[in-house]
Amino acid sequence: MSETFTKAMARNIFYGGAVFFFLLFIALTFDTVQTLPKRDHRENITDSVVRGKHIWETRDCVGCHTILGEGAYFAPELGNVYKRRGGDFIKAWIKSQPTGAPGRRQMPQFNLTDQQLDDLVSFLKWTSEINTSNWPPNIEG
Amino acid sequence: MQYKSQAVAKPYFIAAIGLFIGQILFGLIMGYQYVVGDFLFPAIPFNVARMVHTNLLIVWTLFAFMGAGYYLIPEEAETELFSPKLAIIMFWIFLVAGALTIVGYLAVPYATLARMTGNDILATMGREFLEQPLPTKVGIVIVALAFLFNISLTVLKGRKTSISLVLLLGLWGLAVFFLFSFYNPSNLVLDKYFWWWTVHLWVEGVWELILGAMLAFVLIKITGVDREVIEKWLYVIIAMTLITGIIGTGHHYFWIGAPEYWQWFGSVFSALEPIPFFMMTVFAFNMVNRRRREHPNKAATLWALGTGVMSFLGAGVWGFMHTLAPVNFYTHGTQITAAHGHMAFYGAYAMVNLTMISYAMPMLRGRSANSGPAQTLEMWSFWLMTVSMVFITLFLTAAGILQIWLQRMGSNPMSFMDTQDQVMLFYWLREIAGLVFFVGLVLYIWSFFCKKGEARFAA
Amino acid sequence: MQHNNASMRGVCAPHLLSKNTPAALNNNTITLREVHDTPPGDFAIWFFIFAELLAFGIFFVAYAFARARNVELFNQSQQHLNIAAGAINTLVLITSSYFVVRAVAAIKQNFSRECARWIAAAIGMGGIFLAIKLFELYAKFSAGISLSTNTFYMFYLSLSIFHFMHVILGMVILTAIMLKARSGGYSAKSHTGVETGASYWHMVDMLWIILFPLVYVIH
Repeated sequence: MSETFTKAMARNIFYGGAVFFFLLFIALTFDTVQTLPKRDHRENITDSVVRGKHIWETRDCVGCHTILGEGAYFAPELGNVYKRRGGDFIKAWIKSQPTGAPGRRQMPQFNLTDQQLDDLVSFLKWTSEINTSNWPPNIEG
Repeated sequence: MQYKSQAVAKPYFIAAIGLFIGQILFGLIMGYQYVVGDFLFPAIPFNVARMVHTNLLIVWTLFAFMGAGYYLIPEEAETELFSPKLAIIMFWIFLVAGALTIVGYLAVPYATLARMTGNDILATMGREFLEQPLPTKVGIVIVALAFLFNISLTVLKGRKTSISLVLLLGLWGLAVFFLFSFYNPSNLVLDKYFWWWTVHLWVEGVWELILGAMLAFVLIKITGVDREVIEKWLYVIIAMTLITGIIGTGHHYFWIGAPEYWQWFGSVFSALEPIPFFMMTVFAFNMVNRRRREHPNKAATLWALGTGVMSFLGAGVWGFMHTLAPVNFYTHGTQITAAHGHMAFYGAYAMVNLTMISYAMPMLRGRSANSGPAQTLEMWSFWLMTVSMVFITLFLTAAGILQIWLQRMGSNPMSFMDTQDQVMLFYWLREIAGLVFFVGLVLYIWSFFCKKGEARFAA
Repeated sequence: MQHNNASMRGVCAPHLLSKNTPAALNNNTITLREVHDTPPGDFAIWFFIFAELLAFGIFFVAYAFARARNVELFNQSQQHLNIAAGAINTLVLITSSYFVVRAVAAIKQNFSRECARWIAAAIGMGGIFLAIKLFELYAKFSAGISLSTNTFYMFYLSLSIFHFMHVILGMVILTAIMLKARSGGYSAKSHTGVETGASYWHMVDMLWIILFPLVYVIH
């Protein structure tokens, strides 16, 4: 008797559990989205930062680098590179790629204008100021 | 093969395997670039090889899911597919669009591809796994909707089983969550928060429903165990998947700027995510032990059991190892992540698709199982690929631990690049394991063409 | 309502049964069988109860762990909690569990309408719990407290809301059982669903009995 009930019961638990946790997730998302402004300094997202993110995306930087730990693991973490190296270094570095050092991992030359480089730097600066709960553990990223 | 229209699954499976080969070739290129940094530069920079590798993975998985759907839905619903013609048309559209996308990645600089394909209308490119140009993304939505429409109408006009309903739920979920890939806010934190609604809620959410349904189908066919038993356990497994995996999304919200309570929620719930995988393993072994028939397809049985074990190890165990926030603080974004990712994806999704193909391809070719020698070849390929994947994972884990020790701990941490030099040995070992994997894959292909021995005809 | 003296004796005091009454023999058999049975209700529900206990257990352990590292903060914030509301809610839930026990007893004697009534009463108590809890949470939110205020409040709000949602789920399950009982879907021989739902409700009650002292009282 309990056998014929069990599949239906398992199905109900599936539907109930899925709805329950989906609702909880939506509620937490609401709270997160409301709390974010205190953590992401969005008042500092200037047009330059927006353009900088666009450059980050259209050159697929995340295909070699991580940012806030997410991305590819071929090249250094760039979420905190602004703090590690500063804006001038970043621009000079990008301008001078590829290094051509034999056997060393190579970064392409993207032929960015000065404006684009400034935008990318402001994006990376804004990113480095997000409250990431003290991640990464140290300056090396 | 009970219904003629199941035949449309065949081209999908063939394309899937073809793209799988492409994925591994580019994986080998990347693995070599890890040790000889300027290999193929500037013709194929690392990030281009990577987007080809990951996108091929996703597309071959989708082709295989679709093939699986077209094969199992008519059989479960006990009626012919709603429109075989639509399935074939979509096959070619998907294949051509996919091929063009890969060519696009390789032929022109990414920024040029973005400009050419309307990224300025709606900027969706440049995020990991979502590198596809806008038209490709739209194409994926159209192909997915056509597929869903086709199999849903088939189920509606026929028998509704738990397996087909769970599969439909998983596939519709896949489509719905893919829509989040069109949302790309200029706030990086929000971008990341919702990016995971596609990625996590796919692989640690609705894709597990698809996996469960596929595995349940193959187990019913191979073992003959009563459907009621198998379907009941399927519901229990997928219930645990969503109960743990939805809030488990929080384990991606530890360090991206989201509120700190996610460190608690994400840790607790994602720590429980191995449970459904553990259950799937026990379930698969149990069903095979309690089998009521001796199915001639031993290879498919091996793949089914292997899927349980490898997904539990790769997704469950390796996942658990770096899911708790205090641990993840150190492991986030290191080779540990790559180690887990490879074994999890292979163990869960590559293997369940190979299980399905192993079971269905002989049927589509007119027999219940391949000949003894062909199955032996296939089983060799199983062991070569699976064991070499275990080694890839072990080597990357070792690299990751050393990387964390040198770069993220202590009072005198090394820079990223210097650390990479220190772990080079493990990258060499990984590449060798990758070559063995490729040999396994070659044997796998060969098993389809093995003419020796008598094919086992349907009883 | 049919009260059969022999059957009542069978349920409450099996050792007083007279061997001559067929009904008594019947009840004796049922009682004996239950002693040797697996836990009441379906196996699947026990699996989920185990999973639920595991999840809450981990949360309670995490709470204890966090508390050990933030004793001052926890003690201070805890003082702002409404202990009276918590205590009343404890009584409310214990009462509702008692009603559920009566409901199971009723169906075991085939009194499905009575069973439904006891369940309705339990649902009512659940509703009172929710109302008091809502009042408590509303007061906190109005004072500007949120999940991000501090670690103590993160736990207090998370545990409260998580448990709250389980009470709702429990009430949904009880409602389904009540409706089925009222329409005669259960009997003395076949009432697994009632026991299953009862087990779930007792679990929800038990979780609160741990939560209340842990979060509201102990300092």
